[in-house]
Amino acid sequence: MLARLQMAFTLGFHIIFACFGVGLPLLMLLAEYRYLRTKDPVWKNIAKRWSKIFAVLFAVGAVSGTVLSFELGLLWPQFMGTFGGVIGLPFTLEGFAFFIEGIFVGIYLYGWNRLSPKAHWLSSFPIAISGAASAWFVVTANAWMNSPAGFQMLRGAVVDVDPIAAMLNAATPTQTLHMILAAYMVAAFCMASVYAVAWLKGKRDAYHTKALALSLWMAIALTPLQIVAGDWSAKAVAKNQPIKLAAMEGQFDTTTHAPLRIGGLPDAVEGVTRYAIEIPGMLSWLLYDDAAAVVKGLNDFPRENWPPVAVVHIAFQVMVAMGSFLLLIGLWRIFGPKNSLFYFLLSLSGVASVIALESGWIVTEVGRQPWIVYGFMKTADAVTDSPGIIFVFAATLLIYGILIFGSVFVLRLLAKKPIPEEDHAS
Amino acid sequence: MLPEQILLAVLVTGIIFYTLFGGADFGVGVWEFSTAFQSSEKEREYLYRAIGPVWEANHVWLIFILVILFSAFPPAFAAICRFLWVPLLLALVGIIFRGVGFAFRSYASGLVRQQVFWSVIFSIASTATPFFLGAAFGAMASGKEKWISPFSIFSAFFFVGVCAYLSAVYLAREAKGDKDAGLEMLWRRRALTMGVWMGALAMAGLAVVATDAPVLWEGFRKHSWFFVIFSGAAGLLSLAALWRRKFFLATLASQSAVVGVILGWIMAQYPVLVWPSITVDMAKSPEPVLWAMIWSLVFGSIFLVPSLAWLFYLFKGRRPL
Repeated sequence: MLARLQMAFTLGFHIIFACFGVGLPLLMLLAEYRYLRTKDPVWKNIAKRWSKIFAVLFAVGAVSGTVLSFELGLLWPQFMGTFGGVIGLPFTLEGFAFFIEGIFVGIYLYGWNRLSPKAHWLSSFPIAISGAASAWFVVTANAWMNSPAGFQMLRGAVVDVDPIAAMLNAATPTQTLHMILAAYMVAAFCMASVYAVAWLKGKRDAYHTKALALSLWMAIALTPLQIVAGDWSAKAVAKNQPIKLAAMEGQFDTTTHAPLRIGGLPDAVEGVTRYAIEIPGMLSWLLYDDAAAVVKGLNDFPRENWPPVAVVHIAFQVMVAMGSFLLLIGLWRIFGPKNSLFYFLLSLSGVASVIALESGWIVTEVGRQPWIVYGFMKTADAVTDSPGIIFVFAATLLIYGILIFGSVFVLRLLAKKPIPEEDHAS
Repeated sequence: MLPEQILLAVLVTGIIFYTLFGGADFGVGVWEFSTAFQSSEKEREYLYRAIGPVWEANHVWLIFILVILFSAFPPAFAAICRFLWVPLLLALVGIIFRGVGFAFRSYASGLVRQQVFWSVIFSIASTATPFFLGAAFGAMASGKEKWISPFSIFSAFFFVGVCAYLSAVYLAREAKGDKDAGLEMLWRRRALTMGVWMGALAMAGLAVVATDAPVLWEGFRKHSWFFVIFSGAAGLLSLAALWRRKFFLATLASQSAVVGVILGWIMAQYPVLVWPSITVDMAKSPEPVLWAMIWSLVFGSIFLVPSLAWLFYLFKGRRPL
C-alpha cells in the first residue's frame, strides 16, 4: 500500500511540473512571436520572464521525472521485469524527446545574446514540440496499461511482442490528446490566474495586461477542445474498460436508458448511488448517441475486479465540475462584463485547472485498479516486497515538501522583481 | 552484430557520455564543496557559468541509460533495483537536490543568504550523487551479496575523484580560452594535484579488486589488461599535457583514461549484466522490441546529434585547441 502511495504522490507531483514543461514553451513561443512581429519590448520581457519561470519548473520536473524512472524499477520490479520490453519503445522515444528538450532549453535560456532574435525564437520550437512529444510517448505507455496490446501471454511469459502495436493501443489516441490539452490548459490558466491576482492588486500596466490576455485567450481557446476530447475519451473508456466507466458514473446495474448522474455518493456495499441528480437516458445518449442504448453496470463484473467505486466516481465528478467552471470563465470573458468578480474567479482558475488535472489522473489510475496492466497483472502482484518503504515514503514527503517550498519561494522572488521599462540592452 | 550487443554498446556509450559530461558537472559541485572556505565569489560565478547551459542536457544521459536498460534488459533492471535500492535512492536524493539547488540558486539572485543556502545544497548533493552512483557501480561489479564492500566504497571515492579531475581539466581549458591567467593557473594546479591522487588511487584500486572482488579480478586479468594499461598511459599523458598547458590534449587524454576504465570494467564482466547469473542473453527483451529500439535510436539521433553539437558549439565552441 505504501509503495502505491509513494508512486501516487510522486506521480501526482511530477504531473503538475510536467504540464508546465509542456505548456509554458508554447506560451513563450507565442509571446516571442508577438515581440518579433510588433517589436514591442514588453513582449520580450514577457517571454523572458516566462522563460525563467519555465527554467525553475523544468528543473524540478526533470528531477521528479528521474525519480519516477527509478521508481518504476524500485517499486514495481515484477511489472518492469515482465512488461518492460513491451513498453520500452515509448520510454526510449520519450528519452530522446526529453533530451532534445533539455538541449534546447539550454540554448533558449542562455542564448538571448548569442543568437539572432529570429534564431532564438526558432529555438523555442524544438522545446515546445519535444515537450508535447514526450508527453505523448509517456502517456502511450499509460494508455497501454489501460488497454494492453501488442503481445501474447504464454504461461506467464510475454511472447510475440509488437512494440508499435503496444504504443498505438486502443486508448492511445484519446488519452494522449486529453492529457496534452490538459497540460496546455493548466499552464495557460495558471499563468492567467497569476496575472488576475496582479490585476486585483492594481497592477494593470502594459506588461500585465498583455501577459494576461495571451495566457487567457490560449486557455479560452483550449477549453471547448478539451471538452470534446474528454467526451471522446469517455466513449473510448466505455469500449475498452467498461468497468472503469461504470465506476466513473456510479452505474451498478446494466441497463438501457442509463442516466447521467451529477454528484452523488456510490455505496459499493448496497450497490446504489445516492443523492445524485439524474438525467434519464443522458449517459446512454452521450456514449452511444442513443438514449436507449445499453450501458454496462458494475454488477456485470466479478466484485474482486471492481475499482474503489466511490473514489473514481467522485474524482470524475470533480474533474467535470472544474472543467465546467473553466468553460464558464471563458464564456464570461467573451460575453460578460470584465469586473472585479470576473478577475476574482479567474484568479481561482489556475487552482481549478490543477484540481481537474489531478482528479482526472485519479480517475484513470484508480479506475484501473485492481489491475496494473488491465486484465493481465494485478497491482498487488507487481509491487515490491522490499522492507523499509515507510522510511522512503517519509523521506519523500519531506524532500518534496522542500521542493514545493523552494519552487514557491523562488517563483515569488521572480514575480517580485521589477519589470524593466525598456529592454533594448539585453 | 546481434541486436542485444548493439544495445549494450549504446548503453555503454551512454554511461561513457554521462561520466564525461554529467560527471564533470558533478565535479564542479565537488570542487565547490571541497574548496568552500577558500573560493572567492568570482571563482564561484565562473563555475556556475561553465555548467549553466549544458547541465540539463548532460543530466539526460542518465535518463537515457535507465530507459535503455529497462527497455532492452528488463530483468537486469529489475534485479539491479532490487539489489541496489539503497545506494540508488541515496543517489536519487542527490540528483534531486543537485538539480533544484542549481536552478533555485540561479534564480534567487539578489538574496545573498538564499543563494548561499542553495549553493551549499548544490555542492553537497553534487558530491553525494557520484559517491552513491560509484558505490552502486562498485557493488554491481564486485558481484557480492551485500552492496557495501571495500570495493564499493573504493569505487564511490574513485568516481567522485574522476568527476573532480575531469571538471578541473575542463575548467582549466575554459579559463585559458577566456584568457584568465589566474583561473587557469588555479585550475591547472588543482587538476594536477587531483590527477596525481587519482593515479595513486587507481593503483590502490587494483589491489582492492584483487583482494575483494576476485571474480572481477579474474575478468580483468583475462579480458581487460589492455584497457588497464591504456587507461594508465592516458592518465600519465593527461598529467604531462596539463604540465605543459596543452589543455585540449589534457582533456582528450583524461577522457580516454576514464573511457579505458569503463570499457575495462564492461569487458571484464561481459556477458554477465548482474552477478551472478543475469547475462545479456537471458535478460534481453524480445527481438522485435530490440530492433524497434535500434531503429528509434537511429531515427532519434538524426535530431539529437546536431542539436547536441549545436549546444556545445554555442556555449563551449570558443575553447582553445
